[in-house]
Amino acid sequence: MVPALQVSCGPAQAPRRRQLLRAAAGAAAATFTLTASAVSVAQSYPSRPIRLVVPFPAGGATDIIARLLAQRLSTSLGQQVLVDNKPGAAGTIGADLVAKAAPDGYTLLMATSSSHSIAPLLNSKIPYDPFKDFASIAWVADAPSVLVVGAQSPYPDAKQLIAALKARPGKYNFGSSGIGSYPHLAAEMFKWRAGGLFVVHIPYRGTGLVIPDLVSGQIDFMMDSIVSAQSHISDGKIRALAVSGVQRSNSLPAVPSFEELDIKNMQISNWFGVFAPAGTPVSLVAKLNQEFNRLTQSPDIVERFNKLGAQAHQASSEIFAKLYRDESEGWKALIARAGIKADNP
Amino acid sequence: METLFSNLALGFATAASGSNLLYCLIGVVLGTLIGVLPGIGPLATIAMLLPATYKMTDPTSALIMLAGIYYGAQYGGSTTAILVNLPGESSSVVTTLDGYQMARQGRAGAALAIAAIGSFIAGTIATFLLAAFAPPLAELAFKFGPAEYFALMVLGLIAAVVLAHGSVFKALAMVILGLLLGMIGTDVNSGVARFSFEVPELSDGIEFAVVAMGMFGFAEIIMNLEQRENREVFTNKVGRLMPTADDLKRSIGPILRGTTLGSILGILPGGGAVLASFATYAMEKKLSKTPERFGKGAIEGVAGPEAANNAGAQTSFIPMLTLGIPTTPVMALMVAAMMIHNIQPGPQVMTSNPKLFWGLIASMWVGNLMLVILNLPMIGIWIKLLTVPYRVLYPAILLFCCIGAYSLNNNVFDVFMTIPFAILGYVFKKLDCEPAPLLLGFVLGKLMEEYLRRAMTISRGDPMVFFTRPLSLGLLIAAALLLAIVFLPAISKKREEAFAGED
Repeated sequence: MVPALQVSCGPAQAPRRRQLLRAAAGAAAATFTLTASAVSVAQSYPSRPIRLVVPFPAGGATDIIARLLAQRLSTSLGQQVLVDNKPGAAGTIGADLVAKAAPDGYTLLMATSSSHSIAPLLNSKIPYDPFKDFASIAWVADAPSVLVVGAQSPYPDAKQLIAALKARPGKYNFGSSGIGSYPHLAAEMFKWRAGGLFVVHIPYRGTGLVIPDLVSGQIDFMMDSIVSAQSHISDGKIRALAVSGVQRSNSLPAVPSFEELDIKNMQISNWFGVFAPAGTPVSLVAKLNQEFNRLTQSPDIVERFNKLGAQAHQASSEIFAKLYRDESEGWKALIARAGIKADNP
Repeated sequence: METLFSNLALGFATAASGSNLLYCLIGVVLGTLIGVLPGIGPLATIAMLLPATYKMTDPTSALIMLAGIYYGAQYGGSTTAILVNLPGESSSVVTTLDGYQMARQGRAGAALAIAAIGSFIAGTIATFLLAAFAPPLAELAFKFGPAEYFALMVLGLIAAVVLAHGSVFKALAMVILGLLLGMIGTDVNSGVARFSFEVPELSDGIEFAVVAMGMFGFAEIIMNLEQRENREVFTNKVGRLMPTADDLKRSIGPILRGTTLGSILGILPGGGAVLASFATYAMEKKLSKTPERFGKGAIEGVAGPEAANNAGAQTSFIPMLTLGIPTTPVMALMVAAMMIHNIQPGPQVMTSNPKLFWGLIASMWVGNLMLVILNLPMIGIWIKLLTVPYRVLYPAILLFCCIGAYSLNNNVFDVFMTIPFAILGYVFKKLDCEPAPLLLGFVLGKLMEEYLRRAMTISRGDPMVFFTRPLSLGLLIAAALLLAIVFLPAISKKREEAFAGED
């Protein structure tokens, strides 16, 4: 059921799998003892429509993933699963709403790294605790990052780009969708892992706006999510030089991974996962986890996610909880190292 | 040329199929309605309808309907701007300036008709441009770097001063206040939330629609409540519905110029389209032999900007269809509609889904035709709105605005935010300060700062970047000329004379 967990991020990985297994086993035992009392809750659930909060505007990758799953989930649960977009403040407004909702399984959140691993590190005033205020339900997908340059860029591959960046520190620029955004952190990680490069960060209001400047050569590279970069790569407007992680991506099979290029520890990947408010009955969490894991294995969902540039995943709710906690630790180290700040002084 | 005709033939064959005609009609009718309803914009409507299109089997029909909502709303939006002085979208702010004055003079019918006719002509020309030159025009987006956008915004802000028809000093003050309000929210360059007072909602800045509803709509209502005895009545002098031959003669130039400017600005991602109607208004006022009529019900002030915003609405599809780059939030939703149907937006759409590409373009012309046919006879009905007693009309406007404000982010915070702007708008009305320059400052301010700092970061602090890039230099020269025209003694004297007769 649970595939070999693709490590998402973070330098310290060796002791991880063992810990994960232990955590999973412990939680399984806990579930078992609780089952008898909670079984009736799970049987009658759901008796009314479920609201799946998407903390981003309609039309983005998170929204599309949520809607694809909500549609199938409505059929399999026999109750409507309604997607409710509550955008704003890097996903934290929608996440806060779910954190404070009734823990009855009728309000769920489709979250990403942004609201749960990154924003709490950059802004100490986030009104929720990403670990204590949520019950993790399921890891549904992740989207690796891809190193892209404009089609006219003089650098045919990552090696030559890195050589140029090293040769003239401070001369080149990279774009991102804002301070502390996923593409920003991914690029900082790349600068770190490629040997401590000095490249100037140019933030934008969204990755779509970076593309024209990347194409016209104002910006030299970007670490974009495959989800948003894919269509521009297939148009030939931009070129992909490397994908994050150990393996190549199913969506861009011709592009080498950083690991192949001998740039280690670039296992960064933006995850998509489902949460409920903390205190949601364990039996409901288990039932929903099962449903989501079943859905993300169905061939058509796998194919649709692939088309989007995302990879479908299944994991127990405990492994998912561990995953985003570890990822957060990995980012914490990077943010401290790169000196990224978005907090009010 | 031949391929263009065969492509258009394919497009019209697709757009004219029974079901697509029906979806187009649904789209434009819905668009007109939400445009007319104050406060509810196309963005919220399309976001709400997007999930419904996921279940439609043919993505072409889905896009035809969504596109119809978008440009239909441009038609409908002018109706409320003219009749009740309430702009729903940034593009119809300018229409309030002369359109509402025309309504006060009993010429609401002519204003509505010229808005519809101007929009139709602009839509027809822009659709043709889209069909004939989409790929080369899309390249224009790549010519515009941060320096060029900054220069364009400077030009826009100077145009904002020209917009005002009262004191230049007051207009400048309003522009600056708008700039300051635009500063609220997360600074893109540093990631720091400015003036957000730890309210998470404010970290994304204030919504344009909230400011517009408060300052125009609500302030107007408060103002009218105050005049218990001497309430403004212009409902009885409705007059003729259609424009006169003289009106048409005056309007044709502004319509064509507005179409040109709107088409060009619509293509640019990152705020270009916002400028279209403002820039056209400023240009017409400058070109006019009788600029003193502007702001007092000049039909040119309605015809030009209305043509510009509709042309811009059509050409903003160019970067989305040909490059897969959405230039506006509405276009981002169109991209999503395509992606959910397994179509990757980008240049390959033209070859891999020619029926969708050309069908959508052809449907825009069909939709524009439907809109003008629908809208001209409906003018009589809209005018009747003016005879609705205030005690019914105003609560209805308030209600729709609240729904509209809520639908921006599905958050009541935006509804509450309209209150301070309503009060501010009322105070400004008392002080004779116009809200239009404030709104332009508000929209352009944050963009301008962003592009300035981006251009300066890329040039590593060298301001010469604005003068060494030819496009940027050209735009700055145009801005300097415009500024000189505003402040040149001879002209400013004429300005004073022109406004001497006022109040």
